[in-house]
Amino acid sequence: MNKKTFMKTRQPAWEEFSELLAKRQKAKRYYLSGAEVQQFSTLYRELCNDLSMVRSRKLGEDLEAYLNALVSRGHNLFYQSPPVNVGQFWHFVFVDYPRTFRANWKYFLLASLLFFGPFLCSWVAVQIEPELAERILSSEQLEDMSTMYSEESVEERRDVSVVQFGEERSGMFGFYIFNNVGIALRTFAGGILFGVVTVYTLISNGLVLGTVSGFLLSEGHGDRFLSFIISHGSFELTAIAIAGGAGLILGHSMIHPGQQTRFQALKTRGVDALKIALGAAVMLVVAAFLEAFWSPADIPNFFKYTMGSTLWLVVALYLMFSGRK
Amino acid sequence: MSIDTPTTDNPFRNEPLSLDYAVETPETVVLHYQLAGPAVRMMAYMLDFIIRATATFVISIIVEFAGLLAPGFAMGLFLLWLFINGWGYYAICEGFFHGKTIGKHVLGLRVIHENGHPINFWMAVNRNFIRAVDSTPLYIPGLISMICSRKFQRLGDLTAGTVVITERRVRLPREPVILEKIDPIPLNQLNQYKPDEQTLAVIGDFLSRRVAVDYKRGHELSRPLAHEMARKFQFRGDPELVRKFPMAFIARIYVTFIRNDQNTDPEASTTPSTEPKTKLPVFITTENWDE
Repeated sequence: MNKKTFMKTRQPAWEEFSELLAKRQKAKRYYLSGAEVQQFSTLYRELCNDLSMVRSRKLGEDLEAYLNALVSRGHNLFYQSPPVNVGQFWHFVFVDYPRTFRANWKYFLLASLLFFGPFLCSWVAVQIEPELAERILSSEQLEDMSTMYSEESVEERRDVSVVQFGEERSGMFGFYIFNNVGIALRTFAGGILFGVVTVYTLISNGLVLGTVSGFLLSEGHGDRFLSFIISHGSFELTAIAIAGGAGLILGHSMIHPGQQTRFQALKTRGVDALKIALGAAVMLVVAAFLEAFWSPADIPNFFKYTMGSTLWLVVALYLMFSGRK
Repeated sequence: MSIDTPTTDNPFRNEPLSLDYAVETPETVVLHYQLAGPAVRMMAYMLDFIIRATATFVISIIVEFAGLLAPGFAMGLFLLWLFINGWGYYAICEGFFHGKTIGKHVLGLRVIHENGHPINFWMAVNRNFIRAVDSTPLYIPGLISMICSRKFQRLGDLTAGTVVITERRVRLPREPVILEKIDPIPLNQLNQYKPDEQTLAVIGDFLSRRVAVDYKRGHELSRPLAHEMARKFQFRGDPELVRKFPMAFIARIYVTFIRNDQNTDPEASTTPSTEPKTKLPVFITTENWDE
């Protein structure tokens, strides 16, 4: 049997197989019937055999390329991962993500120290010595902050109808998503550069936030400021530290890959890091919602403090216990 | 997974530079893919960029008008779009459309896992979040990583364990039509030598791609083989055929051994069709091809 007869005898099987592939590929929702699956499996193995033979007999590159393409299409269909659905999202939020987070809690701890450490230090330092604030932020920025939280402007912002409030704040919602989630994801991705970008982002964000807090408190805007940030801060600040932790996982696998090569370590540990970073992104979406609509609302501070403390507790309980068997 | 990982998987290992990427499947068949280089990927990026920029432009016009009614809401929507555009476009496209974005689809590119199977949603998200590092500034880190790694992987690919391949559109090779008109070489001009299947396959491939070069070049390319063949056959026919038209000579050799092997033409008595068929290589004698 030579190439010509070989092709002649085998061609019907190849055409049958490509028809089967086309059938499955054209209609997204079309699932092969039991008989077709059997046919697919038989033909697939036959084609693998054909390809091996064409290759070992060196029956021509064109034929080899043709069979190679056909087999790889079959291979791709056969080894396809199941599609993502909405149910998996909830499973991810309530089971997968908190579990992955707990499995990597040491990275979160380090990231928290790198974020909340400078945060608290600069807060305390600036509140004791308000002039220090100008070393971190420019005086115009500080002035803007100060006016934003002054009694008049807060009153003015609250003095609007519900519709107008919702309308204005939905603009801010978009901004918080764009800005905060972006920062968190960059903090995560930057971890691949040996963690340098992650560490830098965590420390600098911690310093700036601490400075702003200390400055506003020393200016006497404490009540208005704290009642504003306490609710969404629970999700937002935690999520930044969590995303930083995910970046540190990447950084750690680049610096100290252990028994693996650097890029193998990146691949294996990167899965966890990605899940954690995505979870942090989801938390930041919740935070953006709170920051846009709850935190600036005209509600007595007592409720805001109660709600804020509850949310901190909820975040802590969620991360510690959700998805536990 | 962490145990016993030798250095053979190092993406920066030295190997001859080639676009060929071989993967062994669980069926112990080696599949070959063609990797996509930085240039074609940049073209796909530019195409995607144009699409994204156009969409952003259209949305900004809509937002402009919606802004007359509800400026805050319109601004929020626009910023939300910018976020999805920046962080989600690639991840969503590649995650849901079999590793392709619109630009990749147009240029015939696809993202697959290093093991040859299609990527899942996580890999798509992973490789595109790391894009933030690859693209700052001006995709220079990504380009450096692609140049240095064996499989043209940027940092996102290395993290997610993916490669970008070019999808080849291949058809079943057809017999060159021209062969129908070519006469086989009479048997008495040849000795007992039989070219092996491999040589004949090379000639077949060459002839079916003949149109890629002109006649002069075609003869030039076939000359070494024609001369070698003539020597092996101790060719007793017209030496001018080998010397002046080597391509025609190898074509006739091909016809002599391929066409007549089938014994379909009883009239061709001048050809080696009377040779017993078993003298030619037999592939797998036990195989029943009809099944």
